[in-house]
Amino acid sequence: MLLIGQLHYETTSKYNFPRIIKEIELSERIVELSVNTMRMIKGRILQISNIDFSDSIIELYDDYEECIPIKGKILSALLNSLKPIRDGTPIIGVDVSSIKVGATDSGVIYAVRGAIVQRINGKYRYFRFGPLPFHVTKRNFQEILGECDEDIPFESGISLRFEPQRQLCNLIERWLRMCISHLAKGSLILWDGSLTAGVPGSPVKEMSEILKVARENSNIVMGFSKDTTLKFLDWKITDLINGYKPPCLFEIDSLPLLSNSRLKLLGRIYVAKLARGGCSFRLDIDRCIPSEECIRAVERLIGNERIYQGYPETLRLAHIYSTFTASDVIGIQRLLVRRYGLRLVAQSNMHRTLFGPYGTKIGG
Amino acid sequence: MRLFKKIGNTLHILCFPDEDVEKGEYLLIEDEEAGKALIAQVIDVEFANVPGVMEELLRSSHNGYPIEGEDEDPLDVTSHILYIQDARILICKIHGTVVNGRLKQESSWLPSRMNSRIHKLPTESLIKMAKIDGDLPILLGETQDSFPLSIDARQLDGKLNIITGKKGTGKSHLSKILMLGLIDYGAIVVILDLNGEYTNLGYNSDGSKNKYHDKIHILAPGKNFKVTLYQTKLYVMMRTLVYALGLPGTSAREFRQIWRFLERNGRLTLHGLGEAIQNWKCNQHVRDALYSRYMTIVNSGFFTDNMAEAIDFEKLLSKTEKEGGGAIVIDLSDTSPSDRQMIVEYVLANLQDALSDWKIRAVFLFAEEAHLYLRETYWDDIVTRMRHFGLFATFITNQPNTIHENIYRQADNIFLLNFVNEHDLQVISRAARADAETITSIVRDLPPHHCLLLGKIVKDFPMVVKVRPLNVKTMGQTRYFFTDERITKLVRELNQAPIGR
Repeated sequence: MLLIGQLHYETTSKYNFPRIIKEIELSERIVELSVNTMRMIKGRILQISNIDFSDSIIELYDDYEECIPIKGKILSALLNSLKPIRDGTPIIGVDVSSIKVGATDSGVIYAVRGAIVQRINGKYRYFRFGPLPFHVTKRNFQEILGECDEDIPFESGISLRFEPQRQLCNLIERWLRMCISHLAKGSLILWDGSLTAGVPGSPVKEMSEILKVARENSNIVMGFSKDTTLKFLDWKITDLINGYKPPCLFEIDSLPLLSNSRLKLLGRIYVAKLARGGCSFRLDIDRCIPSEECIRAVERLIGNERIYQGYPETLRLAHIYSTFTASDVIGIQRLLVRRYGLRLVAQSNMHRTLFGPYGTKIGG
Repeated sequence: MRLFKKIGNTLHILCFPDEDVEKGEYLLIEDEEAGKALIAQVIDVEFANVPGVMEELLRSSHNGYPIEGEDEDPLDVTSHILYIQDARILICKIHGTVVNGRLKQESSWLPSRMNSRIHKLPTESLIKMAKIDGDLPILLGETQDSFPLSIDARQLDGKLNIITGKKGTGKSHLSKILMLGLIDYGAIVVILDLNGEYTNLGYNSDGSKNKYHDKIHILAPGKNFKVTLYQTKLYVMMRTLVYALGLPGTSAREFRQIWRFLERNGRLTLHGLGEAIQNWKCNQHVRDALYSRYMTIVNSGFFTDNMAEAIDFEKLLSKTEKEGGGAIVIDLSDTSPSDRQMIVEYVLANLQDALSDWKIRAVFLFAEEAHLYLRETYWDDIVTRMRHFGLFATFITNQPNTIHENIYRQADNIFLLNFVNEHDLQVISRAARADAETITSIVRDLPPHHCLLLGKIVKDFPMVVKVRPLNVKTMGQTRYFFTDERITKLVRELNQAPIGR
């Protein structure tokens, strides 16, 4: 439904970051990781089930941030009314999706794809990386985690709580973010999700490095969260802004210090409502950017980007371009059959087998 | 290709982009375990209902313009995705079963969905299996797999044929191939040529005489095709007056008496007939009715009192047969509608006479746009009764609704060229020789000069053929106002005109 309501845009004829990205070493490491995980899979049986896309597609939500209650007495929220600044600032959105393709006798195969969409001179252009299949087993999961979270010790147990599908997403997303921070100059870089680090998939060291590189290249990183666990008096912070005339921005600048030293908020946290009739979003902007400049950056964003339902179009397109459709999954399954000789079998439904037409899950 | 679904006698076959199959082609669905194979014809090609394609199309284009970009796809997964997204479903009609290399009209069994092997059935194999090629081949052209397709002339013998297609698709061209093919085997062909398209059958395209030249007899009514009343039998004249000129019953009775009177007195001439009608003692209205018909006959120029310029049509038929076959082209292009009906009545009555008296064995009648000159009751007459005398009709028309439904149902062979009009397609699909789906789906997409053959000539295996060219001087082409020379001249003038004209 969302797609059909898309706005019309023209395309730019020239844009050259993909070629540069290809040369970056990490991409080779990621491809190598994918190929390595798939190496031992030849001739196995792959159980596939009817794909429920809402269940199996993973985007990076911020639910690992846990519920952070914001105490009322220390909350000082500043409302900023925004005026669009049209100065031709390039906008870049990054997003990554993954999907479970099927299960083997020793693990699960996931596919991951990343997308970068840039808006420059009013035209959009995309770059996609993937899809890459990964066969994740108990044995190689540690190896993948090592690639994902070098600064989080495995014995902490934190990593293991997060499923490999999300870890793989994080890996590729971090790589794409790093590439963009390196390559873009004077741009607004939009991430899907918050700038909270110190959780699996968001190592503090790497995240800080990405933001630093971005700043060195005069870029400003912003993270849009479609969902947040931050609450004020049991209200989601995104509800605080209801009733205010958009475009506007609430800065939530007095959060309590987090006792968990591992979690680190690398961004200033705002609630942004960027368009009339649109939704409110949690918006994180690189904490090292002065507050005034952050507000100005949001004004540049709304001046140089199409805002659809309160959400930046580049980020929306990055999501659309990275996400998997059913035909993508069938295509990946075909690759697995042709290249790796996997034999596809439909996942048996025990309820169906035992109870026939009465084998529904409802009521246990 | 994989067998996906069977509904009634329709198969749905999944076909991938690297498998090149077109509408009209035949497939063999072999089930080795069952030891049988189904023969099915592709009647339509659709996109497979691959889930997620709509989302893919929507995300890759906006208002018809795709967003530009690049895909870094190290494992080349995209090619597999595109392969899936471009998958097609072939809608096929079952036409029989092959058991031990022999064809059977059976489609009640179901081949294995998982183990069946599906491949294209070459036309050559099908023709051999179905025994479509006969001892008397008439080369029509090439099939989709470039196989030269000939039909057996015997499958036109004693049969009712229809050639139909929209304007400019090559109906006359195809009928010329058929009639020349029949002439090659010594048949007598009579052509009711509405537009004078067949008058140059005896000439090559460069204007030189061809091998058929002496076998083609062009009869132009009022010119080299005139008859005397003396040669004309009373019942032939009565049919002409009643059916072609609408003479009422009472007047017809008086005419019969006048005719017999003149016959008795040896005065059966045009002049004598006119005088007799004027002086005949009868009601004035009857006299007027008779005289007006008489004047029509006189003015047509078809009847004459001069024996020297008159032609004996029956003798011409017998002569043609004795000389080893040929074509008699009745050029109706310069005749008025009423004269046309009169001449056709005369020709058909004489044909019937000659056939019933065994003066000739059989005649193949080719009638272009027959609704313009054939009276209502003649259709059934030709289809049912006259074929027993040896008159085998081929109707050629670009207006399929002008041919009655019962004619379609009784047609033995139908040659279909392109139609796109839904109404026309509906009319044609009533033909009993093939199912409506096959006809409408294939005929709609036939390119010019491609023909769908239905019926006995192809043993009920509908086949698409690209009709071969013919080295005969054409007359049936449209005479255009904007000739090449005229266009060149006009363009030159426009270019030389001042800007802003």
